[in-house]
Parts: sequence; C-alpha cells; structure tokens
Amino acid sequence: MIGFDAILASFGAAFTFHSIAVIFGGVLLGYIVGVIPGLNRSVAIAIAIPLTFYMSAYAAIAFLIGLSKGTAAGSAVSAILLNTPGEPSSAATCLDGYPLARSGKPRKALKVGLLASVVGDLLATLLLIAVAIPFAAVALKFGPYELAAILIFALVFIAGMAGGSFLKGLAAGGMGVILGTVGLDPETGAMRLTFGYAELMEGVPILPLVIGTLALSEMFVQLEEYRRNKDADVIRLSKNADDDLSYGEFKGTLPTIFKSTGIGAFVGALPGLGPSVGAFMAYGFAKRSAKNPDSFGKGNPNGIAAAEAADNAVIPASYIPLFGLGIPGSVSAALLVGAFMIHGIQVGPLMLRDHPEMLFTIFSGMIVASLLMLAIGWYGLRIFAKVTSVPPNIVIPVVIFLCLAGIQVQGYGTFGLIVVFGFAIFGYFLKKFDYSFVTFLVAFIVTPMLEMNLRQSIILSGGEISILLERPIALVFVIITALMVLHLGWSSYRRNASRRAAS
Amino acid sequence: MARMDFWSGAVVSALALALIIWVIPTYGGGGAAFGLPPQLLASLGAWLMLICAAALSLVSAVKLWRAGESPIQLPSGSHLWHMLWPFLYVLGFIFLVDRFPLTWIAPLLIGALLVILGERRWYLVLPVAVVPALGLYVLTAHLMRIGVV
Repeated sequence: MIGFDAILASFGAAFTFHSIAVIFGGVLLGYIVGVIPGLNRSVAIAIAIPLTFYMSAYAAIAFLIGLSKGTAAGSAVSAILLNTPGEPSSAATCLDGYPLARSGKPRKALKVGLLASVVGDLLATLLLIAVAIPFAAVALKFGPYELAAILIFALVFIAGMAGGSFLKGLAAGGMGVILGTVGLDPETGAMRLTFGYAELMEGVPILPLVIGTLALSEMFVQLEEYRRNKDADVIRLSKNADDDLSYGEFKGTLPTIFKSTGIGAFVGALPGLGPSVGAFMAYGFAKRSAKNPDSFGKGNPNGIAAAEAADNAVIPASYIPLFGLGIPGSVSAALLVGAFMIHGIQVGPLMLRDHPEMLFTIFSGMIVASLLMLAIGWYGLRIFAKVTSVPPNIVIPVVIFLCLAGIQVQGYGTFGLIVVFGFAIFGYFLKKFDYSFVTFLVAFIVTPMLEMNLRQSIILSGGEISILLERPIALVFVIITALMVLHLGWSSYRRNASRRAAS
Repeated sequence: MARMDFWSGAVVSALALALIIWVIPTYGGGGAAFGLPPQLLASLGAWLMLICAAALSLVSAVKLWRAGESPIQLPSGSHLWHMLWPFLYVLGFIFLVDRFPLTWIAPLLIGALLVILGERRWYLVLPVAVVPALGLYVLTAHLMRIGVV
C-alpha cells in the first residue's frame, strides 16, 4: 500500500501547472462538445483518445476525465437555451430549464444548472475516493474463481439494466464476447478469428472500434436526422438585472442538490444504469417530495438542480466499479479502460497495488476538474450560450473528418479506415435497432479478463469448470446471476403481457 | 417496433448460425488446451446471440401475427437513399484516402458535405473546410519533427 507522504505527493502532482493545463483543456473541450447538440460524451472521448497517444498516462487519463466531466456540465446549456439536450441525460434538465429560460431568466437557469453540476460532481468524486480504495483492497483478495463469477454477473446485470430489451442486451453482450476473443489465444497460440490479418493478432484494435461504433455511426444517425430538425430556436442571454441567481435562491436548492447527488451516486455505482436514469429518478424524487409539485415543469429551479446534480454525480460514481473491480459500468468508463490499455495500465484493483500513486493522482485530478468546471462554466457562460448556435451541418462534416484523421494519424492505414467503417455500420445497426451499446462495449472489454480468470480457475482446479460452484463467494454470484436472469426474463414477459392487455 | 425487432432478431440469428456452423469452427483456432479451448468463449457468445435473437424474433413474430400486421414493409426509395448516401460518401473518401494523402482531400470531404447539407456561404465553407485539414497537417508535421511518426 501507498504511504501518506506518497498520497500527498500524488495530490501535489495533480496541482502542478502542467496538470492543471491538461485538465483545463479537457474540461474546456468537454464543455464545448457538451454545449453543441448532437455531440455527446462518448463521441468526444472516442475522438479525443488519439490526441492522448502522445501524452503521459496520467495526463491522458486526466484529460479524458476532464472531458467527460465537461460534457456533462456543458450539455445543460443547450438543454436550457435550446430545449435540445446535448446529452440524453440532460433531457430531464429541459423540463424546467427551458421554461425558466423562456420566462426571461436564462442566466439564472444556467447558473443553477452549473452550481448543481459542480456540487454533484465534487461530492460524488469524494465518495469515489472514499469507497473505491477499500473496495479495491477487498477485491485484491479475490482469486480467479471469484473474479470470473463477478464478471459474468456484471455482464448480465448491465444487459438487464442498460435499458431496452433484455434479450437485445444479452445478444449485444454475445457480440462483444465474440469480438473480445479475436486474436492470439494466450494458451495455445492459435490465431482466433483473424482471417489471416496480422493486424488482428493482438485483438480487434480498440481505437477503430470505438471511433466507428460511437463517433462515426453517430454522425450517420445525425445526418439522417438532420433532414427533420434543421431549425432550432435559441434563447439569447440578456442583460436583464432580474435574471441572476442570488445566494438565497441557490441556498434554497441545496437540499435538492444533496438528495439528488445521493441518488445519482447510487445509480452511478450500479453498472449499466447510466446518467439518464439517475437524472430522471432524481427529478421524479424532487417533484414528489416538493411542497408545490405543480410548479415542476414550469421553470422551478429545483427541477434543474435535481437533474443536473444527479447527472453529474453519476459519472464519478460510475468509476467505483471500474477502479474497485475493473468493471466499466458505463460507455465513458469503458472508453477510459481503452485509454488505460493504450498506455499499458490495467485498470481495476491491481492498480492499487501496481500504480497506487497514479490512482491517487487521478483522484486528485478529478477534484481539480470539478473546480475547473465551475470556473470555466461561470466565466464562459456567455460564450457557451453562443456556441449552442453552431449548426449541425458544420459539426457533422468536421467530426467525420476527425474520425478518419484520428485513425490515419495513429498509423492504422487503410486497414484501420475499413475497420472503422465496418464498425460504423455495426454501431448504426445497434443504435437504429436499439441493441444495448454499453453491454456490447463492456463485454468486448472484459472478455479477455473473463477468459483469463476462467482459464486460471480451470487450470487451478485441475480441469473442473464446476469449481465456480464450490467456492462460496463465486457460488453466491453464480446464484445471483441465475436469479437475475430469471427475474429479468419474468419481468420482461410481464411487461409484454400488460402492454398486450392494455392494447 | 415489432417489425424491426423481428427483422433484427432474424438477421442476428442468421449471423450467429453462420458463426456457430462455419466461422468459429474454421477460423476460431485449435490445438490442445488444458484450460479453456480457444473456441469455447466465442462459441458461448454465438450461442447466446442465437438464443436471444431467435427468441426476440419469435416473440415479435407472434406480436405481428396477433396485430394482423405483415412482417414485410419495404421502405420508400427516397428513405432508403437518405439512409444510404452518408455511408457511400464516407466509403468513397476512404477509397480516395487510400490513394491520396488525407490532408489533400480533407477540404474536399468537409466542403462537399457542407454544400450537400445546404451551406452556401463561401466565407463559411472555406474556413470550415480548410482549417481542420491545416490543423492535421501541422499536427502531423510536428509529430514527424519530434520523431513520433
């Protein structure tokens, strides 16, 4: 374990000029991306990963985390001023943000959103620091049996919780598992599903996969939707003296912010649920527990505070299973795993043993990112309000170019471009037919880990796969997984039956 | 939705079947293994896909049958074209990138797409088309100078 002095030194490293500059760049870029409707966090991270190739591992991760946090806060701006959420998770912010802005108080709405975002994010980051390390310390004691059972459980859990159909979630997970096995078999040295391409020997390259399935496919979807939503009405910031947030008004939203942060952090810590669920749950809870629930949906600042605090709390909390167990619970966490892999670091409990100073520096970098979010959001309010009017017909061609350029700069060549195009078609298919993208990506990323743990378990037990049923912790997870499959299957059947009865 | 589920389930089932019957046995690797056989996990993934997608297709077929709807409804030609042209556009540029440097053709890629999407102001088209390509050129030149690529 790392000593107290080393922890202090790690925190010191995050507060250097270079570190702050990198995080500042990430948060600023994230803000801009979040503000532009149609560009989301996953697209931003996927495109930004190639930029981080030439940074140190810490700078790369800090930049991407800053980017992730920036998009979450920035997406509120377009939700409030355009009634178009920059991220799906900001849809709940539209419910009260847009009416408040329409009533001549856009600045007040934006400031409530910003402060709620920062408080939610900061508190959830502190929770992550408090919880992830004891979590990882316990996880370090697990053997391959337990880890294999936990990974299977996590995949089923994410397939069930990621929204949409459970069957589609599992099918998407199956696709991820197959792609995760591509490459050299570590035990026999056999080439698996490489079709003779030497480029696939080390597995499907993660960069073309994420850029294709997340960014390029999203641009194809946007191009299709562009025909329908060409014009949007932007609310401009005025110099109205009444349109500002007083301390008293902010204080009034604090209880809602704290409760919503709790909900967001809980939802974020469970893999697969995502920020949209957290934001809507917190919004619903705030409305139900309010003295005047009828004012919600008509410009109540508590509605904005609830949605934004929960939305921003989900992101740091979703890193709890990532740093604690090595299981990415969201798309952005899965992309971070990819970035860690590119820099040769295995994320998860082993990080606490092998790179503890890096872990603590990342945590402190996250706190820096939260504070920078406040500064950038506060002073850049007017500029970001203007960025919302960047039309999609400018954004889409530039993003398509960045997708292709990211692959070219990394030296993947024509093979990489064809792979990225193939995955763009695949990602388009997943999006159009509502197959769980997060389950696919998480399955793809955890499959090598699952395979290694399963292999070790079988070798250690002398060839008995039933060993998973003989170890108490592994057995508990196997039973929970089986019960969850039954429960999700049954509730899916009940939902269909009630829909049929209603129609 | 039921129609989309039916067809997506059918396509995924067909893909999973092809994987189980042909792709994994032929290209999935072999050799004696004491731990996990090389094809095991991929086969499990394919079976999972097949079972779930077939169930989805079956459930959707029953829904369609109960609602008295036909599983076949062809999209209009213009709808199909609107879905297809972005893919063809990008594929065309990948073909060009294979022959010419990206920095040469990037302004064309961005500028032509801007015009297709209805932008006619030259003072906007020009910088939006040129600046990203210029940025890529500067980045590549810098990376070459420091010896990264």
